[in-house]
Amino acid sequence: MQNILVLQHYLAIGAIMFVIGLIGFVTRRNLIVIFLCTELMFQGVAINLIAFSRYTGNLAGQAFVIFVLVIAASEASLALGLVVLLFRTKNTLDADAWRDLKW
Amino acid sequence: MLGIVSTLADSVGSGSADYLVKPMTILLLCAVGGLGTVFLLPGPKQSAKLGGAMLMIAGLLLSLVVFFATAGHVDSDTGPYFWIFSAIAIFGAVRVITHPRPVYSALYFVLTVFASAGLFILMYAEFMAAALVLIYAGAILITYVFVIMLAASAQSPNDRSPLAGLAECDLVSREPFMAACVGFALMGVLLFVIFDKADQFSAQIPVPTAASLMPEETVHGSTQSIGQYLFQSQMVNLELAGLILTVAMVGAIVIARRKVTDIDQRFEPSVETISSNATPVNDDPHSIPVYGTTNPRQKSFPEH
Repeated sequence: MQNILVLQHYLAIGAIMFVIGLIGFVTRRNLIVIFLCTELMFQGVAINLIAFSRYTGNLAGQAFVIFVLVIAASEASLALGLVVLLFRTKNTLDADAWRDLKW
Repeated sequence: MLGIVSTLADSVGSGSADYLVKPMTILLLCAVGGLGTVFLLPGPKQSAKLGGAMLMIAGLLLSLVVFFATAGHVDSDTGPYFWIFSAIAIFGAVRVITHPRPVYSALYFVLTVFASAGLFILMYAEFMAAALVLIYAGAILITYVFVIMLAASAQSPNDRSPLAGLAECDLVSREPFMAACVGFALMGVLLFVIFDKADQFSAQIPVPTAASLMPEETVHGSTQSIGQYLFQSQMVNLELAGLILTVAMVGAIVIARRKVTDIDQRFEPSVETISSNATPVNDDPHSIPVYGTTNPRQKSFPEH
């Protein structure tokens, strides 16, 4: 029971960070901050994975975090390239400037 | 306030025969946190920031009460560090989504990354902590800060107000109340499942002891064993990760490149810099147009 409690605390921290990132992803309108909130959600998931890896004695969780980092790095570079391109086209970072893409 | 906290602590601590944490407590915590987040998010009502901050402090106190009431058995070695690191991480995360300036959001995200690295070290994942700091705080966040600086608007030096020079999209957030409702409902469900399904969870998994939690050599050589695991069991995936990184790098360069005008035309004031993607005019690979000229037949490497 003792160590299970600690696992739940780490899971709670991961859940709280994921939810905070989710709220930021929905509410913020700056494109760069939207992608920062995506990274925040990755952080919450990584904490969950490491906690499960620790409390089940399985290294697959840590290896999975490495691949999460790889995907996060490539996503960040591609997304920031797209943000630079969008900023050059409309000269603003507002996500609402691309409202035409909705339909 | 203190009376409420103490009665909550009593109700949480003593009445835990059925539930580890009472559902009402989680509900109250999520409601307070959600309201505080709504008030803290950038919006037209600047006077509400103080109330939002107070609500967030109340939510933090409540969460501390809940956690200390349930966590009588946290092992005393890592217990205080866990609370410190998680408080820093959540504070940084809240500031990331509530700060109106993107540069400060990025810097608070660095704070969150460092706190998460501390949590990783508490879980004996030293290599992952180092990789997190190097990759996130060292590489990804530098890219973010560079892009923020590229897109920064000029700020007049005379204007000293704290929100000077910010665009409208940074000052007003979109649907903060609905987003906080949905997000904190999700958080309440997650916390409820995490804390109240504890008995089923611990019935399925054998309760780990200090010896069975991790083998001795794993604890003392976590980096070595994760390297062995990666290169023995995850070989193909590791190579694919490298391939994905290469493809992403090439793609980012192709997306973000821009046309540069010719040296001869650089000093003419009438020439505009065209910032669209340069694509070949036809399928002939030798006909890649040279930047700055209007002749598509001119080749970048003439054969003569």
